[in-house]
Amino acid sequence: MKIVVCIKQVPATTADKRYEADLTLDRASVETVINPLDEYAIEQALRLADAGTVDEVAYLSMGPEQASEALRRALAMGGDAAYLVTDAALSGADEWATAKVLAAALDKLAPDVALMGMASDDARGSLVPGAVAAMRNLPLLSYGAELRLEDSVARIRRLNASGHDIVEAPLPVVASVTDQVGEPRYASLKGIMAAKRKPLETWALSDIGLSADELQGGALTKVTSAEPPQAKPPTERIENAPPEEAATRIADWLAARKLI
Amino acid sequence: MSNDIAFLAEFADGTPQRSALELAAGAAQLAAQSGGAAVALAYGAGAAGGAANVGAQRAVVLGDEDRPAVTYAAAAAEAARDALVLLAPATPNGRDIAAVVMGRLNVPAFGPVSEVDLDGQTLTAKQATLQGSVITASQPVDGAATPSVVLVLANTFTPAEGNADTADVSQAPAVADDPLGTAKVVESHAEEQAAVNLEEATVIVAGGRGVGGAEGFETLQELASALGGAVGASRAAADAGWVPYQLQIGQTGKVVKPSLYLGVGISGAIQHRVGMQTAEHVVAINKDPDAPIGEFADLFVVADLFSVVPKLTEEIKRRKGV
Repeated sequence: MKIVVCIKQVPATTADKRYEADLTLDRASVETVINPLDEYAIEQALRLADAGTVDEVAYLSMGPEQASEALRRALAMGGDAAYLVTDAALSGADEWATAKVLAAALDKLAPDVALMGMASDDARGSLVPGAVAAMRNLPLLSYGAELRLEDSVARIRRLNASGHDIVEAPLPVVASVTDQVGEPRYASLKGIMAAKRKPLETWALSDIGLSADELQGGALTKVTSAEPPQAKPPTERIENAPPEEAATRIADWLAARKLI
Repeated sequence: MSNDIAFLAEFADGTPQRSALELAAGAAQLAAQSGGAAVALAYGAGAAGGAANVGAQRAVVLGDEDRPAVTYAAAAAEAARDALVLLAPATPNGRDIAAVVMGRLNVPAFGPVSEVDLDGQTLTAKQATLQGSVITASQPVDGAATPSVVLVLANTFTPAEGNADTADVSQAPAVADDPLGTAKVVESHAEEQAAVNLEEATVIVAGGRGVGGAEGFETLQELASALGGAVGASRAAADAGWVPYQLQIGQTGKVVKPSLYLGVGISGAIQHRVGMQTAEHVVAINKDPDAPIGEFADLFVVADLFSVVPKLTEEIKRRKGV
């Protein structure tokens, strides 16, 4: 059984981020990390490998050359091999183009499960897993709090409005998991050393059978403006007020805005 | 391509979800701008019987069974193929379908947005990106195929009052050879604390680590009830087991857009903030005067929540005359 975990290198959550003059994200000057939500997918895959259910865990990323750092960090947590799709034609890729590239690379790697995080820290559309499933014509098991694998089926535990369901589909599948799979492990020193010797291949678009033309310029969407959020009026503060007075003032504030 | 605005209308237990009624209002607005019709793509238990009345001019029933939303996605893509825009709720189910439509039809997708406009046939979607540090406006590239798929946050549109017009209803043809349709629920487990649909609440009282335990959340529930709202939580409170995960707001929980968000004992870490930053009014009660939530709240009350919240509940009940 083979899992390929798709990961994305993103600006650190706390980094100071900005858009370039051409309205693409400045990815060169900021500190980067593995998308924190992808670490849960890595953890889920490694747990299945630890349990002996899965015998190969590989990582796949699309991004600039420095995204190989994120793949090395993933390999330091565990797993066997990594693949980076990098190509000048992919600068400014949107979710559609990302899905297109990952789908083509996954066709080549042919895993039983293509596993992803539930969202990326920097875009938050959560559209890539479903789009990859549609492009590869495979079932989608999304937002799993846990992924389980048996001989020929995959199951996820997925929260619903009042509890949870177990959702099942025949392998191979595309799946995504949430932060409820459990805290991601840290890379050990031994893991970091071992990661340096694990295979990391870099592919261009042609290596996965795609042409720049098929990617329609790398995006079907374009950012036309990027602005800071509208400045809000300064925060009103209530401090050092006795509880009754504070309660009355909050109620007045709510009433003035017709909220009660 | 038509000028029609399609929208996903999810049904559960025989009734349309609030998102269906909100998107119906949004689709009607956009259809007035494009000169097309608002078209409901209805799915889920009760969709066949209710599709005519969600507030669309036409309705296509994708299926009437209680099964995973993604199993309706291929039919949704085919039904939306000729539309100019497809609106989908920014919920897990809505995103799954939107993603499949984007991947199957190779069309642009946007969101989650809190504002969407059409100028003739040109769509502009506004969304908070990079954890809310930037508001971007996006459009389809020239020559992009349609429909443009737009994920819409709850409470972006207000459902129309009164009885909706009766739509012409048709049944979507089955999609042959659809692996996405093979996902099935094999077990279903209800948990004790049945949760409300937080995304649809217009008033949310959210509690964090400072609430201290499940008992503290009962205090918040009383305030929420007085305000006619629902209780939410930070990840810390859900991880601690004080409330079910269904109530978690934030990066890995619900993304909410209530008219009033009242955060109690919540520090306001960025992971929580991204789940509530589009709330119209933000009130915070926290005993730490330096809590980050104080920087983006509209009203910040530095106080012990256990003394203020019960008083506030009383005061609100008194003013409402209950």
